[in-house]
Amino acid sequence: MKVPFRLWRQPELQNPSLVVGWGADAGKLGAKVTDYLNKKLGGQSFCEIEPVEFSPLAGVTIDDDLIQFPETKFYSCHKNDLVILRSDPPSYEWYKFLNLILDIAEHYCHVKELYIVGGMIAPSAHTTPRELLGTFNSLELKKALSQYNLARNLDYETPPGQRPTVNSFLLWVAKRRNIPGVNLWVPIPFYLVAVDDPKAQKMVLEFFDQRFELRIDFSDLDEEITRRNERIAQVRIRFPEIDEYITRLESNLRLSEDENERLVKEIERCLKEKSGNH
Amino acid sequence: MGIRLYKEPRLEKPDMIVGWPGIGNIGIIAVDTLREQIQAEEFGEIEPWDFFYPRRVIIRADQLEDLVFPDNKLYYKRLEQKDLIFFIGEEQPSDGGGTYAEGEKAYQMANLVLDVAAKFACHRVYTSGAAISLTHHTLKPRVWAVPNKEDLIEEVKRHENTILMSEIEQMGGQGSITGLNGLLLGVAKKRGFEGICLMGEIPDYLSRAPFPYPRASKSVLEVITSILGVRIDLTALDNMAAQIENIIENIYEKFPQEIRDRIEQRRFAIQTKPETITEEDEKWLKEHIDELFKKGGKGDEGPV
Repeated sequence: MKVPFRLWRQPELQNPSLVVGWGADAGKLGAKVTDYLNKKLGGQSFCEIEPVEFSPLAGVTIDDDLIQFPETKFYSCHKNDLVILRSDPPSYEWYKFLNLILDIAEHYCHVKELYIVGGMIAPSAHTTPRELLGTFNSLELKKALSQYNLARNLDYETPPGQRPTVNSFLLWVAKRRNIPGVNLWVPIPFYLVAVDDPKAQKMVLEFFDQRFELRIDFSDLDEEITRRNERIAQVRIRFPEIDEYITRLESNLRLSEDENERLVKEIERCLKEKSGNH
Repeated sequence: MGIRLYKEPRLEKPDMIVGWPGIGNIGIIAVDTLREQIQAEEFGEIEPWDFFYPRRVIIRADQLEDLVFPDNKLYYKRLEQKDLIFFIGEEQPSDGGGTYAEGEKAYQMANLVLDVAAKFACHRVYTSGAAISLTHHTLKPRVWAVPNKEDLIEEVKRHENTILMSEIEQMGGQGSITGLNGLLLGVAKKRGFEGICLMGEIPDYLSRAPFPYPRASKSVLEVITSILGVRIDLTALDNMAAQIENIIENIYEKFPQEIRDRIEQRRFAIQTKPETITEEDEKWLKEHIDELFKKGGKGDEGPV
């Protein structure tokens, strides 16, 4: 039987942590964070999982005018002793796929800890400070990360009609294999979910910066955050109705479904238009 | 991927009765009612993680406590007349992500269920489900009986309210059984087990309704208990049926008059030549069924 992954280099790592970001994520958070880390830390790809068993491959999808193809790639950052996985979530064979990720991480990299990045949809304004929440599969890791203020003493059960995220599934599979791990969640304002949210990215990246002593220079991301804030401020000036919606969100008031839709549509349209012209 | 037995009961040539969700949950309600009434005891499961996406995550004080998958449980009961094994699955596995089983996963699941049957020397397996029929919701649902061996035909005919495919208008002995209720009996045939599928009739215009159809479950259960020679209390099922019938009547009144006129003729013609609903009627029902039945729930992904 064909091995469902390709390893083209054995990474030289000591006792690394694995950072996982999914391609399909609220605010593109997982993909943006892993891309940023790879760029800043010089991540080198060394392995990929073939999509044939895990994705339908019945044609391709198009996003932002580009053809997309399911990709699951591992990168190593040997100086920082980190493994980064940027992956599209599987469409089926989830358990096999998630175990395969951890097989590679353990067998070829001797990974000791797992960090999974995820965006949560939040009914909040973009001006609200972002926060980073953690859900853990190990009490020891929770204690070890206590200085980062991730804990909220959260009790949660998936409501009827919904399903757990692939992040929770991976964390559970890791637990079964005694790999300590944490899901890092950042609530993303709902009208930034389909675009991206640099503020949320910085929140997660700052955590990694401290945790792994990466000494990243965030000036480029700070500029992006400033630009994003300016763009939305311009939209608020141009469209008083949008300004009113955001003002209400800033006062912790809810919008109607129609108002939500209008806000999402207008912000997405303006941000895409602006970024195209930029 | 495997079978986990918590204990190995001593059983004498048991029959296996299998239930999965399907249209109107007719089969699974019948099987689960029987299991509950005779107080069958859980003794194992088929491990679900290779087959299903989890249903629920449980987090307590920031700690991932558990991930809950659809149940695939095994039960047994020693009766005077017959020992029984039950397999009840909360979902059908599907490679394509559809509601009904298909593909390699379905085949693997069918074989695992039959591995349990083989281990305990079962020689017969029952499945049950829905038969979409040109019937009326006030008529007693008949039970379409489909065996996987020719010598079982005479046996299934002996039980009251059963009907063979060849006796159904326009079917001529032909048809199909979708999902695991069918596949399991095909694999059973291949592996040498006797198998019978018992399908309770559900009117075509209710086949997309988002609630159970216990009248048909009752019909199926009457046949199963007749075959097994056991008596059970059907009060709970009758009560459920009465509640659902009220809902159906309320909805039925909202159907356009011409559709109701055509359906009404079935009350008197079901055994001879039932009046079919037209393609137009079917289109109307498809378009309005969710709205009429106020189907709830949207979205698949939870936040955590």
